[in-house]
Amino acid sequence: MDDARGPRFLLARLALQNLGRRRIRTALLVAAVALSCAIAFAGAVVMRSIETSMSVGFSRLGADLMVVSRDALTHLTAALLTVEPTDSTLPADLLASESLPGIARAAPQRVLRTSLSGAGGAGESVDLIGFDPSTDFTVQPWLAERLPRAIGAGDVIVGSARTVPLGSELVIFGAPFRVYGKLSSTGVGTHERGIFLTSQSLLGLSRAISERTGSLPPMLRPDRVSGFLLELASGARELQVRFSLLSHFAEIKVVAGASLLTGIRQGLSALMGGAVALVALMFGATAVMVGVLFSAIVSERRVELGLLQAIGARRRQIVGLTLLEAVLATGAGGLLGVAGGALLLRLFERSLVFHLTQMGVPFLWLERVDMALAAAACVVAAALVGIAGALFPAIRASRSDPYDLIRGEG
Amino acid sequence: MLVCEALSKTYPTDRGPVAALRGIDLEVKSGRYAAIIGRSGSGKSSLMAMIGGLSRPSGGRVLVAGTDLWALGSDARARFRARHIGYVFQFASLLPTLRALDNAALPLLLDGRGRGARARAAALLEELGLGAHLDAFPSELSAGEQRRVVIARALVSDPGLLLADEPTSDLDAQTEREIMGLLARVHRTRGTTLLLVTHSLALAAEAEQIIQVADGTLVP
Repeated sequence: MDDARGPRFLLARLALQNLGRRRIRTALLVAAVALSCAIAFAGAVVMRSIETSMSVGFSRLGADLMVVSRDALTHLTAALLTVEPTDSTLPADLLASESLPGIARAAPQRVLRTSLSGAGGAGESVDLIGFDPSTDFTVQPWLAERLPRAIGAGDVIVGSARTVPLGSELVIFGAPFRVYGKLSSTGVGTHERGIFLTSQSLLGLSRAISERTGSLPPMLRPDRVSGFLLELASGARELQVRFSLLSHFAEIKVVAGASLLTGIRQGLSALMGGAVALVALMFGATAVMVGVLFSAIVSERRVELGLLQAIGARRRQIVGLTLLEAVLATGAGGLLGVAGGALLLRLFERSLVFHLTQMGVPFLWLERVDMALAAAACVVAAALVGIAGALFPAIRASRSDPYDLIRGEG
Repeated sequence: MLVCEALSKTYPTDRGPVAALRGIDLEVKSGRYAAIIGRSGSGKSSLMAMIGGLSRPSGGRVLVAGTDLWALGSDARARFRARHIGYVFQFASLLPTLRALDNAALPLLLDGRGRGARARAAALLEELGLGAHLDAFPSELSAGEQRRVVIARALVSDPGLLLADEPTSDLDAQTEREIMGLLARVHRTRGTTLLLVTHSLALAAEAEQIIQVADGTLVP
C-alpha cells in the first residue's frame, strides 16, 4: 500500500478486508441481494416486455368504439382497425372541442377508396388510409416489418395482401412513396389490402387527386376526417361513453367493437399493476433485511469502530467505512443479480416465449438500451438498499463516544 | 501539562443516574509518569477516557497542553487525538486484517499524513524489537508482540501524552514486565507524559505521581 494514497484508499481497503473476514456472512448477504436483484431485474424486463407485448396485442384487438358520420354506411367486423371508407365526414376537431370522460385514446383517420390511384393493378380499388402516427393505435401495432426509423412524409405502409417489397417505391397519384413497412395479416379486408400513409402525406396528394378525379373528396379537406377510432380508459363502460358521445354530438354514429375484448384489456392491465406492486414490495423487504443485517454488523464491530475513532478516525470516515462496506456487498449482489436475471431471461426466452411464438402470440422484448438501463437501475438500487440499510447504524456509531463503543455500548 | 478541572461523569441507568466521577481536579506536569490507581469500579478508566477525549464528561474541563479537549468539535478532537495522544488499551486493540506495519501506521494514515508513515512505523517497530515481524498479521503474533505493536501505534504520531489503561492486565508476569519496562523506557527516552491506569500497587510504585481514585473522587 502506497503511503501517499491517503485515508480514502485505506478505508476502501479496510471495507474490503472486513467483508473478507466473514466470508460466509458476506456470501449470504451478497446472495440474498443477488436473488432479489435477479428477480427484480428479470421481473422488470419481463413485465415491461409483457406490457409492450400486451399493449401491441391489445391494440391489435382494435378500437373499442368507432365514431363516424351518422350517414356513413358501416359493416360490423370483429376488430375495429380502420374507419369505414365513406364520403360522409366529421370535423377533425370534433373530439377536441369537448372534454369527454372515459376515452383513453382517439385516433382520427381519413379513408379514401379509389380506383384511380395508379397503385396496384390498373383500375384496382385501393383504400388510402391517412392516419396520425402519434395517436394511432390500430395500424402500427400490426407492423410485421419496417425500415429502421420512424415513419415520415413520403412513406407508406402496405397491408399483408400486397406483395411490394420493403423499401421499394410505390407511385400513388403520380407521387413516389417509399414502402416503409408491411402489416401482418389481420383478416380485416381494409387492413389487408390498404395503403397507409400519414394524414399529412394524404392531404399532400389533394391537388393530384382533384385533378385526376375531377373533385376533392370531402375527407381530404384539412378540417375533416372520415372518423375516429376510440380506446376506452381503464374502468370506463362502453355504454356510458357511447351515450356521452351521442348526447354531445348530434351528427355522429357510434359503432362498438367486441365488448369482450375491452373487458380482457382492462382486466389484464389491472393484473399487471398488481404484479409490479409485488416486485416493489419484494425489493422493499430486501432493504429491510439488509438494514437489520447491517445493524447487527455495526453492533458487532462497535469495539473496532471505537478503536478507529480513538486513534483519530473522523465521524465521516466511520460512516464512510460502514457505507462503503454495505455498498460493496450489495453492489456486488446487484451485479451478480443482474447476471442471474439475464440467465433467468434466457431460460424464459427458451421456454415460455418460444412456446408463445410457436402459438403465434407475439412477444416483444424490451429494447437492448432499455434492458441495459434496467440492469444499471437494479445495480444502483441494490447499492442504494445497502446505503439505506447501513446509514442509520453507521451514523449512530459515528455519534457515539469512542469509549462507549470500545466498551461495547453505544 | 495535563489539567482536569471539576471533572464529573454520570451514567444514566434503569435505576436512575449513577455518578462515576464527582468533581475531579488534578494536574500532571509535562514529561511525568503518573499512575491512576483504584479498585475496580472506582472510576479510574472513566477518568482516563475523559482525559483522552474518548468519553464526554458530564461536567468540568480537560486541558491537554493548554487545549480544552471537550470544547473542540468532534473532528477537531479526533485530529487532536491522532496528533497529540497515544493510547494503549487493556485489550489487544489491533485491526486483524492489517499487518503489524499498517496497524502501527494507522493514526498517521487516518489523519491524512500517509507520506512516510510506514517508514516511521517500521523504525518504531524495529526499536521495539519487532523488526522481523513487520509483515505479520496480529493472529501471527504473541500477546506480548501484539502489545508492542500497539505501543508502536501509540507512538507513531510522536504524541506528548501516552495513556495506558491497564495495558498488561491480560498478559503473563514476564510479558507484563517486558511491556512495563518498554513503557518506562519510552517515557524516559522521549520525555513523553505517561499516564498509567492500574490496580497493581507494584506497578504504580514506579510512577513519579500517584493519583488514587475511590468512589469517583480523588483520595488526598
